[in-house]
Amino acid sequence: MRARLGKMASNRTFWRGLASIAIFLVLWEIGSRSEQWMAADIFAPLRDLVRAMGFRKDYLPWVGAVPAPSAVLASWLEVVDDPSYWQSWYMSLFRVMAGFIAAMLIGIPFGLALAMSRTAYGIGFPAFEVLRPIPPLAWVPASIIFWPTQELAIAFITFLGAFYTIVINVLGGARSIDARYFQAAQSMGASRWDIFRRIVLPGTLPSIVVGAAVGMGITWEVVVAAEMISGGGSQIGGTSGGGLGFFIWNSYIGGSYEQIVVGMISIGIAGYASSELLRWGGRYVTPWLKVR
Amino acid sequence: MAAALPVGAADGAAAVLRDTTPFGDASEALLARIAAIARPAHYAAGARIYGADDPADDIFVVVSGRADHVFKPEVGAREPLKRVVRGGVFGWAGLLLGQTRRLATVTAAEPTEVLRLDTEALVGLLESEPQEGGHVMERFATMIQREFTLPTLLAQVRRLSGPLTEEMSSLGLTMYRLSLWLKSPRPYLMLIGFSLLLGFWYLAVEAWKLPRFREMPGLTTVVKEWLSPEPTYGLSIYTAEYYQHIWMSIWRVTQAFFLATLLGVSFGLLLGWSRAFKAYVFPVFETLRPIPILAWVPLAIVMFVATESAVIYLAFLASFFATALNTMLGVESIDESYIRAADCLGANQWQVFRYVIIPGALPFIFTGLQISIGVSWFSLVAAEMVSGQYGLGYVINTSYMMVRYPTIIIGMATLGIVGYTTSALVRIAGDYLMEWRVRELALTER
Amino acid sequence: MSRGHIVIDDVVKVYDPEGAAVLAVDHCSLEIEPGEICMIVGPSGCGKTTLLNAIAGFHDITSGRIVMDGEVLCSTDRPRAAPGPDRIVVFQNGALFPWKTNLENVIFGPVMQGKLGRKLAIDKGRDMMADAGLSGVERNYPGEVSSGMRRRVEIVRALMNDPKALLLDEPYRALDSLTKSVMHEALLEIYYKNKVTIFFITHDLEEAIFLGHRVAIMTTRPCRPKKVLNVDIPHPRDYGVLTSKRFRELIEETSDAVHEEAWKAFQAGEKEG
Repeated sequence: MRARLGKMASNRTFWRGLASIAIFLVLWEIGSRSEQWMAADIFAPLRDLVRAMGFRKDYLPWVGAVPAPSAVLASWLEVVDDPSYWQSWYMSLFRVMAGFIAAMLIGIPFGLALAMSRTAYGIGFPAFEVLRPIPPLAWVPASIIFWPTQELAIAFITFLGAFYTIVINVLGGARSIDARYFQAAQSMGASRWDIFRRIVLPGTLPSIVVGAAVGMGITWEVVVAAEMISGGGSQIGGTSGGGLGFFIWNSYIGGSYEQIVVGMISIGIAGYASSELLRWGGRYVTPWLKVR
Repeated sequence: MAAALPVGAADGAAAVLRDTTPFGDASEALLARIAAIARPAHYAAGARIYGADDPADDIFVVVSGRADHVFKPEVGAREPLKRVVRGGVFGWAGLLLGQTRRLATVTAAEPTEVLRLDTEALVGLLESEPQEGGHVMERFATMIQREFTLPTLLAQVRRLSGPLTEEMSSLGLTMYRLSLWLKSPRPYLMLIGFSLLLGFWYLAVEAWKLPRFREMPGLTTVVKEWLSPEPTYGLSIYTAEYYQHIWMSIWRVTQAFFLATLLGVSFGLLLGWSRAFKAYVFPVFETLRPIPILAWVPLAIVMFVATESAVIYLAFLASFFATALNTMLGVESIDESYIRAADCLGANQWQVFRYVIIPGALPFIFTGLQISIGVSWFSLVAAEMVSGQYGLGYVINTSYMMVRYPTIIIGMATLGIVGYTTSALVRIAGDYLMEWRVRELALTER
Repeated sequence: MSRGHIVIDDVVKVYDPEGAAVLAVDHCSLEIEPGEICMIVGPSGCGKTTLLNAIAGFHDITSGRIVMDGEVLCSTDRPRAAPGPDRIVVFQNGALFPWKTNLENVIFGPVMQGKLGRKLAIDKGRDMMADAGLSGVERNYPGEVSSGMRRRVEIVRALMNDPKALLLDEPYRALDSLTKSVMHEALLEIYYKNKVTIFFITHDLEEAIFLGHRVAIMTTRPCRPKKVLNVDIPHPRDYGVLTSKRFRELIEETSDAVHEEAWKAFQAGEKEG
């Protein structure tokens, strides 16, 4: 571990990356404070240029409206003390897990069934492909009408988001298993069930892991949107109980733009962490892929 | 031995040719021309017509009798022995790619009459008939593969040169593929799948009125509304408003997609090509990427005063990340040998980039584009639902709020169709640009 | 006039000098005469590809020199040669650009270098392909023709540039033995018409003795010539050589040496190079 840290430190790429993030933050800070420094007289020509380009405000286009990283950090330190912020985390995480696990439980067998049987594929896949282009969020109203509680409605949407990805990946993985593995198994007298258990399942595992990681990312996308659109479910005052998506939306309505960015970064971290966790678990489950 | 046909006998020859697979549906004119170059020959029972590895000069059409056609073992045919009788054609090795010698030994099992066609003369004749010539070659190819059980890679016929044979081939190929598809169980299974889906919807909502489904709009309601000239809720294929909404959404996606493709591909190419660029830029890219696009909605509204730009920005962002990432992966996945080969052949850095890197990364780029257009729609719909005016997402959202339930479904279905069409367009563009890949994949089809 | 005279002078190659320090090539010296077919035989992973890559300019050398026709390609001071059309590599798994047709591949070199206009290049390409028995596949993509044909197209692509030397890196390794024997005769036919220097890496002793003027048997990693054999069977050679007495004698002389190195490599657990 120490050796790895040491290697990281001497690695040129690592320092370049750090430098670039630092530069990015500095540029962001300058840009978002542009309303302040552009008010100075020396920047009059710049102000004229901005107006000439058609923007109505006296700051750098787009960046100027974004809250500065320093402000965001300050806001974050405040919010961390607020229990409702953490409750938002919990709510979103709960919804993500619910939808994701459902998608895995239904999607993996469905995908495997389609891969194993030509008839099943012929019947199931075209119908699946017809439904797939409909974005999960388009299902929100239908979902709300159908499901008794708003929680279930949101969970259904997150389920849909991950479901399509998982099935596609499982299918792709199963079909790309080298035909010779099947032939080898058959020549050794394997039954259909054996083949499924010992060749298709392990062979598809890497694709399942990829599908799960990507699906997880999509689930977070969907959860955030669903929370924003459907008003966040239980609304026990303020920002609590709504999930991170609702937290962001609420911050916008309430005019605390710094909190918007806090929320965005929080979700980014949450999504990234869950995908990484999955990938890590995936490596554990497919040890044979490690040898490179 | 074999002399040219006397006048009048050509009709008989044409009739014999008509009975064969390759020439079976050729036009009268073409058949007459082929018959004119046919030379009859006669073999006694037991006579050897030719041996494997002899030069492949003539094609043989059996008029009567029987020839025993035995492939040499190296060829790897599933059934080496093929008995050829009237209507059969053998001796076509000269038509195969890269073959100049016989692949089989042929003996006359009984007294046999044949028509001999000089291979090069026949090919020349077919080349002069652009439409038909390609078609005849296709039928040769089919016959060779089906009736003579030759392994696929060996059974490739030569390309006829000539302007129209190319077009004919791809159209002919499509028609052929279509006919194969119709004969397989696939379209019928597909129908079963759709009927199950739609049937369930109909039964659950309208026939059995299952508990949760009662509130949903039913299949017949939606269909009637969609196709009605006077829709109750104002949106059907007959209303102009319907098309306005569709157009708004498509227009937004188009803008976002093109912008994202332009910026994303350039960005991705740079990321893949320059290690320094990647070291500086990729970390920031990867930090921003996990933030769900929709989490940007409020910020986008703040940044872009006009909601239209905000919506397009959101669709753009999602596409951009997907495209840039896949492009980068595409460049990185190019086999080093190709770059080295180009270096050896004297290409400079720019030429390597243009003639090796870009075409080499295209397959990945197009995969990225297909993902990107899907993601674009995904983000667009969400953005429209939250903050748009017009557009399909907006329709779905407002229909819900105005309790116009069938319109919700109409919106969803329209989204599905439009989304699918745009994806298909991207895929077709990819297939067109990467003809080489389509052919390569066709050869390795499972 | 010496054309394609390659001198490998005391070359040393160490991979990852501050880390694992793997000695791949150890003070290797070899001289290849102009117009000669020089076969390099050795077990997989012994470092022979490293030598080829050094000549071609894909890898650095740690010390020593490689000189071609009096010009220093690389040396201790300038460890990497610049790749160029004077020594063209034919790759193990083939490197025909899959997105270009065979003919477009063949004319790539002269067109890129600006040496021939496109139309002239196409004519020359067609001629050279016909010479090699490849007319008919010009408009096909490499993915559509057999691997044997692909190899031949790649060789024609190289020869279009009138190189001084051809560097072949186990080009026939992936072909079945029937196709291989056809490829050997095809290569010789092409050689007799073009007389380029051929530097050919293989692990197949029979292939080496059949094709080569000289065969250098290399030790397993680190690589250096263990035994250099002069194949005194006269050119032009054909398939019949394989059963000739002299051929069998030469195989007997050298197979022990080859086998010894192969055994050492096996014990060292070499991964595929």
